[in-house]
Amino acid sequence: MSTEHKITTQKVNFKVFRFNADEDYLPYYENYDMEVTSEEVVLDILNRIKWDHDGSFSYRRSCRHGICGACAIKVNGRSTLACKESMNDMVALFGKELVIEPLSIKRAVKDMVIDKADFWEKHDAITPYLVAEIDENPTTENLVSPKDAQKLDEADLCIQCGACHYACPVVEINEDFFGPAAFAAAYRFEADVRDNSESRLKDVNEERQGVWDCVKCFECAQVCPKDIDPIGKITKLHQMAFQEGVANNNVAVRHAVGFKKSIVKNGVLDEGGLVLYSEGPAIVKHLPVAFKMFTKGKIVPPWGITKSENLDEIQKLVKSSSTAKF
Amino acid sequence: MSIPIYTYDAVIVGAGLAGCAAARELQNAGKKVAVITKLHPLRSHSGAAQGGINAAFSDEDSVELHEFDTVKGSDYLADQDAVEFMCKNAPETIRWAEKMGAAFSRKPDGKIAQRPFGGQSSPRACFAKDRTGLTLLQTVYEQAYRVGVKFWDEWYAADIIYKDGKVSGVVAFNIRDMQVAIFNAKTVMFATGGYARAYKINSNAHANTGDGLSIVARHGLPLEDMEFVQFHPSGLSGNGVLISEAARGEGGRLYNAKGERFMEKYAPNALELASRDVVARAILNEIREGRGVGPRKDAVYLDVTHLGKDLIMNKLPELRELAMTFLGLDMIKEPILISATAHYSMGGIPVDIDGHARKNNKEFIEGFYAAGECSCVSVHGANRLGANSVLEALLFGRFVGKTMLKDLESIELRKAVQEDAATALKEIEFLLNNNGNESVPALREELQQCMTANAGAFRTKESLQIAVDTVKELRKRFKNVRLRDKSKLFNTELQEALEFGHMLDYSLFIVESAIAREESRGAHYREDFQNRDDENFLKHTMAYMDKDGNISLDYMDVVLGKHELRERNY
Ligand SMILES: Cc1cc2nc3c(=O)[nH]c(=O)nc-3n(C[C@H](O)[C@H](O)[C@H](O)COP(=O)(O)OP(=O)(O)OC[C@H]3O[C@@H](n4cnc5c(N)ncnc54)[C@H](O)[C@@H]3O)c2cc1C
Ligand code: SF4
Ligand code: SF4
Ligand code: FES
Repeated sequence: MSTEHKITTQKVNFKVFRFNADEDYLPYYENYDMEVTSEEVVLDILNRIKWDHDGSFSYRRSCRHGICGACAIKVNGRSTLACKESMNDMVALFGKELVIEPLSIKRAVKDMVIDKADFWEKHDAITPYLVAEIDENPTTENLVSPKDAQKLDEADLCIQCGACHYACPVVEINEDFFGPAAFAAAYRFEADVRDNSESRLKDVNEERQGVWDCVKCFECAQVCPKDIDPIGKITKLHQMAFQEGVANNNVAVRHAVGFKKSIVKNGVLDEGGLVLYSEGPAIVKHLPVAFKMFTKGKIVPPWGITKSENLDEIQKLVKSSSTAKF
Repeated sequence: MSIPIYTYDAVIVGAGLAGCAAARELQNAGKKVAVITKLHPLRSHSGAAQGGINAAFSDEDSVELHEFDTVKGSDYLADQDAVEFMCKNAPETIRWAEKMGAAFSRKPDGKIAQRPFGGQSSPRACFAKDRTGLTLLQTVYEQAYRVGVKFWDEWYAADIIYKDGKVSGVVAFNIRDMQVAIFNAKTVMFATGGYARAYKINSNAHANTGDGLSIVARHGLPLEDMEFVQFHPSGLSGNGVLISEAARGEGGRLYNAKGERFMEKYAPNALELASRDVVARAILNEIREGRGVGPRKDAVYLDVTHLGKDLIMNKLPELRELAMTFLGLDMIKEPILISATAHYSMGGIPVDIDGHARKNNKEFIEGFYAAGECSCVSVHGANRLGANSVLEALLFGRFVGKTMLKDLESIELRKAVQEDAATALKEIEFLLNNNGNESVPALREELQQCMTANAGAFRTKESLQIAVDTVKELRKRFKNVRLRDKSKLFNTELQEALEFGHMLDYSLFIVESAIAREESRGAHYREDFQNRDDENFLKHTMAYMDKDGNISLDYMDVVLGKHELRERNY
């Protein structure tokens, strides 16, 4: 028995976003050249900057193995859980010049630390708990078949890191929009056979804030470090809304039409977006596979090449298809 | 400028399983509760628990068996009344968590599934894939939020208000802007988690700096059994990140450089599933004797390839990811590199079964409680069994909440005054303004290296003496510290300095308690005293720190019971 396991090192240049909202008028970028080893993850680099170079450098972290959700930042524009991305993978993906930024520059408080109030407010707004009578002294558990348990579809693994929320183009321009993480949480409880909420599904179907304002750009699925696939959950919420008859039919239908029109007008997302609406949500099943390949660097990442153009167009698209117009 | 004083019925420091469970209990009964936590509640380390939570409710199992395994695992240092209480209430507690929404894995008949774990006679660990802690933490937090608990997150608790045998509040500051506040309350509970960050190779979160312990100890109050730190057999080589016992529970095997399944030598019956201290020492011994593997020869192989892809993907997906991220190894295809890692803190703030914190062997502190990993009840004694600690945190957290509720009827509020914040303010002032030439990261590195080398899984009088001297030396040098960050905004450098000060203080408790315990018991293994010595040491260490920072030791009887002392072999 043997395992080929060698430690290698390489030199990498980091451009690091620096900002102290109390002291700095504008943010700036600091340069650090470092030898990084194949054993290190991005969080090790943040630690080294703080511990070896500048103690004032600030970021959130705790568990250091991808389960507490504290450490999400952006590396070369892509949302990343700092403690879960190995430096080797980062270099393979982006080369030896890495730009380290907070998840949302406009919410930056200090260096990587952002004000996440909007994220938690959205989370709180979807009734983020099991709505059930709680037996304080139970002698048996609820019986839940493995099949029913499977229905959560890993939504309970969301670690609230916010990577998807701050990558979502709709969140960026529509402050009422709940955002992908909140929808994933809503789905987690809606899919739970033990839940009895009467309002949650209605809430996530409301205009402007709800699931129908998602433009299906798949950013959230691409960036999620836990492969939660929030857009998949959004699609399931669509289905649930129809099944349970809580879809505000007008909104949904108007939306679909408006969405289709604007796509035609803008000429983007045809394959992804349009097919979805014409062939139904079943197609979504295939897409996460492709996006997993992006995130694992197996196919050329789209964000490196066309992301900003894409985003612009999508934002236009959102504006033109927003329910506010109707 | 005057410091705001907020008044509550109960103030709880820590929002892991223990803190959230207590808070929900109190708030649900209509009390006014504040939870202070330096992390957002969902970032608490409880969320990292992978493997499971114990309850004896299968047909083949029994509460007595759970008790027996726990007491045996503890090397007979656990208090048997507390163990009985825990094991008896475990099934209800887990079902209560299930009713609140915990997403447990299920058996075909819809009941909660259970898996085998080290040191247990029956498959007893209820689990949610390999993210048991995450679903429990989310659930308890969600239900605490639901009933309206007020969470003060990203607030750092710096001191308690302790006078005349009574605790009447907490001094804390907002990490975001350094605003200091006094939380005045009739009852205060600590649920601040573990202290394994004192070691270089550890499985713990950055936040597990044991602040709560030294905050208490600095008031001259005791800490119990601090020498007992558990080393988990399977941390990833190099950084100590945990590969849960579930990997061995599901059938993982350990091999050394010669390809030998070496556990056959150390624990012929239980093999890889012997108690944690036994397996951890076996691994370290293999490495020490030159049979280590990996680029640094500082590891052994953990092999699960024979379990097959389906089982690994189904039951151990998170573990596989961890090995891929940190080692670049895929456990479906190849063995991974692991070694022992500092993992769990058996010692802590001494409490009785109801959570009342002790002032000494005989008296209790009025209005002060503790639960979870920062406390010592003691249900784990010298070594805790896998899947017993999330149980402890959740169960005692909840029951201590009930105790506080009862006590609130008779406890009077002692009004806080500005002066109560003086010590905390002085400490912060000092760190911000001191102009020395020592840096916290460098000192901390020295402490952690020293603790791993000298106060780890193998100890001797000499090694522990080195550790005592080093800690004292580092304390002196810490007085000469200088911080670069002087700002009030998210000053994480200041926070790390405060935390390091705590690490220094409680580390001295660990090593002074260890040096005096001239026997080997559970996780405390003295190479110069390799046997358990029930005649002299079947007792809990109670350690106190005086104003000059010196430690003095006392001992307290163990509560024995129906499980008689036996030799412990697996
Ligand atoms: C990697 C890993 C895996 C584990 N797996 C298992 C398992 O499978 N089964 C099992 O039984 N046990 C397991 N454990 C142990 C178990 O997770 C812990 O013992 C338990 O969760 C502790 O819970 P707690 O509520 O006491 O503390 P924690 O969850 O650690 O919470 C501590 C809280 O205190 C707060 N805090 C601390 N200091 C301060 C301060 N100064 N000011 C303000 N707030 C403060 C923190 O913010 C946090 O909210 C595991 C531990 C680790 C490290
Ligand atoms: S798919 Fe929808 S929710 Fe996800 S990022 Fe795009 S717009 Fe936002
Ligand atoms: S869905 Fe994924 S990216 Fe979004 S918050 Fe949850 S874990 Fe993070
Ligand atoms: S530090 Fe916890 S997820 Fe990265």
